[in-house]
Amino acid sequence: MNRDVRVTVSTVIALAVCILLQSTILNRIAIRGVRPDLALIVLVFVSMRRGSMVGQVSGFAAGIFEDLMNVSPLGFHSLMRTLIGYLYGIFAGNVFIDPFLMPMVLTVIATVLKGLLSGVISAIFGIASSGFITFTGRLWIEVAYNGVLAPFLFALLGLFRVFKQADKEGA
Amino acid sequence: MPGLFEGFVGRHRKGVTLTVLIALSLVFLLVSNRAVAIKPKEVGLSFVGFFQKGFTGLFGWFGDTAGSIRQLNAAREELETAREKLQEMDRVTRDIVELRRQNAMLREELDFAQTLPADRIACEVIARDSDNLFSTVTINKGSRQGVRPGMPVVAYQGDMEGLVGKVLSVGPGASQILPLYDPQCFVSARLDSTRDEGLVKGEGKDHGTVLLQYVKKTAKNAIQYGDLVVTSGLGGLYPKGINLGRVREIKALAYETSLEIEVEPIVNFDRLEYVFLMNEESVPVVDLPDTPAASARSSAPETAPRPAATRGASGQ
Repeated sequence: MNRDVRVTVSTVIALAVCILLQSTILNRIAIRGVRPDLALIVLVFVSMRRGSMVGQVSGFAAGIFEDLMNVSPLGFHSLMRTLIGYLYGIFAGNVFIDPFLMPMVLTVIATVLKGLLSGVISAIFGIASSGFITFTGRLWIEVAYNGVLAPFLFALLGLFRVFKQADKEGA
Repeated sequence: MPGLFEGFVGRHRKGVTLTVLIALSLVFLLVSNRAVAIKPKEVGLSFVGFFQKGFTGLFGWFGDTAGSIRQLNAAREELETAREKLQEMDRVTRDIVELRRQNAMLREELDFAQTLPADRIACEVIARDSDNLFSTVTINKGSRQGVRPGMPVVAYQGDMEGLVGKVLSVGPGASQILPLYDPQCFVSARLDSTRDEGLVKGEGKDHGTVLLQYVKKTAKNAIQYGDLVVTSGLGGLYPKGINLGRVREIKALAYETSLEIEVEPIVNFDRLEYVFLMNEESVPVVDLPDTPAASARSSAPETAPRPAATRGASGQ
């Protein structure tokens, strides 16, 4: 099996597991009802390691899975995660990722980007989501939560051989 | 010609894939979000409006922060007064506990039924929305167990029964509930003390708070903080007299003809573990006129018998 296909399949499985965790046991550690978005951190990690193709395809597949599971209209999460996967994949191999600061910075930016995209998509398509209204409250809790967890999750994912850094051409 | 196309796709593999995936997502969105009718002017307005709301919210936040400092001083004075009241309340609470204990004993002696109506479906909460953008709750019963869309959902917490929301979608073995605090959830309600009617709407932006709207401004002086808000039964979806929450803040905006009342739900959604779906048969029939006495009877679940397995969130 092609390396990229193998990585994409592994990433989709990892993202699906994260989404299931978010909907179940992560509720126990929610702060004011806000849970960390582990799937977003995984997507950022994989896209930065393996490039746009793997990032966007895995983001799309995981987004569809999330849309099927949740009340969001089909296409909502897939569009958001496809774009985030693609954008982060552009920088694959060009950014030095230290163990602590860069995972935090990359994840914080991704979470704000997610808030922006969700707001724009909700506004255009008239979707009444209860989430990041006018960029206050819940978004910033998630930004902080994801930022704190990112270095640990990056370190954990770095142990898996399948997510090893791509060559420059993969970016 | 096909060679030229393949060459283009080969050279721009990532770009073509991105375009296809975005197009697929947009098609899915258009198909699944039936309410939308794309009109360029409305799309533009929504797009710009999103950023306008963002700016207004951001500046409002700075304004609120400055206001909070002023409020802090006022709160310090109120705290002293509240402390004195608290001591008085503490004494009253001890009396109530003793009265409850006596009440339970007397009920036992009179052999009152200690069960729920049989036509309620008890369910366990098994999941929530995976993202923080939406707020549905998934339960472990579906159409096979008789669950139907639109069924009212209640839960017991502490000593009270409170409305959780309604069933949104039903699968064979699981269903999704739209909670009270979701912005798409509307419940016709009334203040239990003054009998003023309004509409409770989920706010969504802050966890667990709902807004009671369309209560006439003349009722402002009669409404007290902590007053109970119950379902009014209008519209037919939710039965009359289910507890919704307690008044937390009353706003009389100059540009509005009615009050905006912030209500803290009875149910703490963070601690929701078990819920009960109400069948039409289990809906209490209240045909008494709207008098305070009648309402007290229809909305007094504090003294209503509770099921044995109702750890429903009481501190779990």
